[in-house]
Amino acid sequence: MLGYDHLSITFGDVEATKEVSFEVKPGEVVAVVGESGSGKSVTAMSALGLLPRKAKVTGRIMLGGRDVRGLSGKELRELRGNEIAMVFQEPMTALNPVHTIGWQLAEAITLHRADRKGGVPDPKQKAVELLRMVGLDRPEHRLKQYPHELSGGMRQRVMIAMAIACDPKVIIADEPTTALDVTVQAEILDLLRELRDRLGTAIVLITHSMGVVADLADRVVVMYRGAVVETGGVDDVLLRPSHDYTKRLLKAVPRLGSGARQAEDVVEPVLSVRNLVVSFGGQRAVDDISFQIGKGEVVGLVGESGSGKTTAGRCTVGLQKPTDGSVELFGQDIAKLSARKMRPLTARIGMIFQDPASSLDPRMTIAECVAEPLVLHKAKDHRKRVDELLDAVELGAATRDRYPHELSGGQRQRVSIARALALNPDLLIADEPTSALDVSVQASILELFLDLQRRLKFSCLFISHDLAVVDMLANRVVVMHRGKIVEQGSRADVFGAPREDYTRRLLAAAPVPDPVEQRERRASRG
Amino acid sequence: MRLGFAQAIRKGTNHEGDLCAYCCTGRTAWGCGVARFLFWRVVQAVVVIFVVTVVVFFLLHQIPGGPARGILGIQATEDQIQAFEHEQGFDQPVPIQYLHYLGRLLQGDLGESFQLNQSVADLIGQRLPKTLVLTVLSTLVALLVAIPLGVWQAVRRNRPTDYLLSALTLLIYSTPVFLVGFVFIIVFAINAAWFPVEAPQADTLGGIFADSQALVLPVLTGAGVVLAVFSRYLRSSVVDNLDEDYVRTARAKGASETRIVTRHVLKNSLTSLVAMLGYYLPVLFSGALVTEKLFNYPGMGLLFWNAAQTSDFPILLGVVLVISLATVTGSLLADVAQALIDPRTRRVKA
Repeated sequence: MLGYDHLSITFGDVEATKEVSFEVKPGEVVAVVGESGSGKSVTAMSALGLLPRKAKVTGRIMLGGRDVRGLSGKELRELRGNEIAMVFQEPMTALNPVHTIGWQLAEAITLHRADRKGGVPDPKQKAVELLRMVGLDRPEHRLKQYPHELSGGMRQRVMIAMAIACDPKVIIADEPTTALDVTVQAEILDLLRELRDRLGTAIVLITHSMGVVADLADRVVVMYRGAVVETGGVDDVLLRPSHDYTKRLLKAVPRLGSGARQAEDVVEPVLSVRNLVVSFGGQRAVDDISFQIGKGEVVGLVGESGSGKTTAGRCTVGLQKPTDGSVELFGQDIAKLSARKMRPLTARIGMIFQDPASSLDPRMTIAECVAEPLVLHKAKDHRKRVDELLDAVELGAATRDRYPHELSGGQRQRVSIARALALNPDLLIADEPTSALDVSVQASILELFLDLQRRLKFSCLFISHDLAVVDMLANRVVVMHRGKIVEQGSRADVFGAPREDYTRRLLAAAPVPDPVEQRERRASRG
Repeated sequence: MRLGFAQAIRKGTNHEGDLCAYCCTGRTAWGCGVARFLFWRVVQAVVVIFVVTVVVFFLLHQIPGGPARGILGIQATEDQIQAFEHEQGFDQPVPIQYLHYLGRLLQGDLGESFQLNQSVADLIGQRLPKTLVLTVLSTLVALLVAIPLGVWQAVRRNRPTDYLLSALTLLIYSTPVFLVGFVFIIVFAINAAWFPVEAPQADTLGGIFADSQALVLPVLTGAGVVLAVFSRYLRSSVVDNLDEDYVRTARAKGASETRIVTRHVLKNSLTSLVAMLGYYLPVLFSGALVTEKLFNYPGMGLLFWNAAQTSDFPILLGVVLVISLATVTGSLLADVAQALIDPRTRRVKA
């Protein structure tokens, strides 16, 4: 149906893809996996002729017997949306904010009306039918709504409805579930599978998530630095990988059930949160939660977006004022402390944020970034300490005088860790520290983190949506949902024998990078 | 759910059930939010206008010579001048004078012109519509040229034609209005003699429209003031929007570039241009002042200009009041217009 034949794409001096060749048959789901910069998205966009003008392309892109590269602008437009359609990653920005859902669906339907043989569908009726097909309730009402009035999952369903509007032969889905929560992700993957079965559409699934691959793909194409390193059936590639890179990639994927850390009773709590409530304009973001972190203990705080986990984390260090309840740090109620008395406490806390690119000052050198807490808290002998820290996070002395933009994402996150550890904190708050990183980078950061935590024995509140990551690091786990704590306990109990329905659903929804196991999980999920 | 004002505005239409976080009348957050928003904007407007009248009043009284000399002429004796000043209350301290003025203003009395023997309210009433005609026509012409120009430049961005037009609009932008007007007069009225040098002089609006040929140059001059601003703004807005993800989606659907610009991007870009129009109301007004003087157009600008020459304080104060009123309503209209056009802030009737 769709075939790439020795496709090479270059932007100036940069080779985005090198001699990429693979085929997609009708009704088949082919997953193209790789880390950022592997050329997987560029490969996909090229099939619609949507590359920027400065891209130089050699090789062939065959779609239904024609080479896409030889088509005129008009022929390409007839192709797009009609024979080959695309589902993009971020459904908020990928839909036009000032047009209704109905308008945008109708556009997808009517643009190719002239090419259709036989009956011309009534756009409104067809739009309703499409929305029903992708499982949106009250489709007539949805047509009048604007993208911002829908949730992320609903918007992604609209994107998919738009893609299938003209019964394309191929759908390219570029990270279709990356911006979504796991439970929503599971629904969208089910929808794509169902559409493939019903319509016989070929799907090219571009993703970095091995779990998503295991869930949906029939065949897998692994890309690394612009080249295809391995192709094969999903069972072969994921269970019996032959290329070194694939092996490394799979090894790096954190798996649920690989955790080994035990929980002990909390004797000397570093942090005690009691009946904490945070409201924003009457809306309870955090609703009456209580938990403790003991000395030297890692507590994983898990939940989906909007569950209140980040707000709760901000409260624990005084960045957010609680509406009600109390937060005790090292035995002192922080609400009763003046800003001056709070300072020695903050010196004992380190923080790591999700996006190291924006949490490091772009105009400070790496050494200055790491030294900043030392300067603020008037510590002596910065230079030696900075060298020690950079060494501890396995960054060479050469990085000292570089600037954040000169480092990779993983290196920047190492700098953040060094900065957080600068004052030898007793408590570390880490908010999604690895979710912006590629899996292989994530694996090395997590390994580093585990090693440092064992050596320095700091306590840690580790906030994450990724259950497998938390499973690897945490002694105890707190599960949040809609501002409330639904379950908390030792890692082994919560992940091994969850008591609450929500925890079970969350665990069931997270895809595992094993196609056989994933099939069983799907079957048992019903 | 109860919401604060900013949240209610942001969440917009789809949350009819949310209640206001700050009052207990049981109104929806949206309705209450809008009511509070409008209330504070009106309070703000009143304060701004009050401050403007204070500043202008005190500044006017710093002008040496004062209005008496201007009105009575250089022949007038000291006694005559003192008698006039006493009659007008100019011998009292300025703050007292201001309080008198404010007292009359609150009763809707803008005072009498020293020179024209007419009430200021009447004068403004006659002249304001003419200025509005000039301003509205200028704005329309500016938009008619600026929208296609800005879009065209954005579509052909970073090519020689774009650079040339950017340079040209920058040139217009940085040229003072009176110079633009002079050039138009010399080229089109004196050398080519296509249009008269003077604007229509008729008393009625009908008469002004009847003499439409004489209206061309003043309108073009007025348009020149804002044309460059609008087209440059629109160009950058369209350029930004063309990089958005939703444009990529439209392309992937098979939409043509023309369709993408006219149906997808333009609606997004015009939303912000409409908001900008409101903020440019005072600029348009002050542009009219120069244009009207240049073409001797009997609008509010010319009235203001002549009053300034003769220190006719009541007229000056009255016109400043109208302009500051226009400024605050302009920015209010801009906010409301944007809220109405942008579906993310608009309320849809259920």
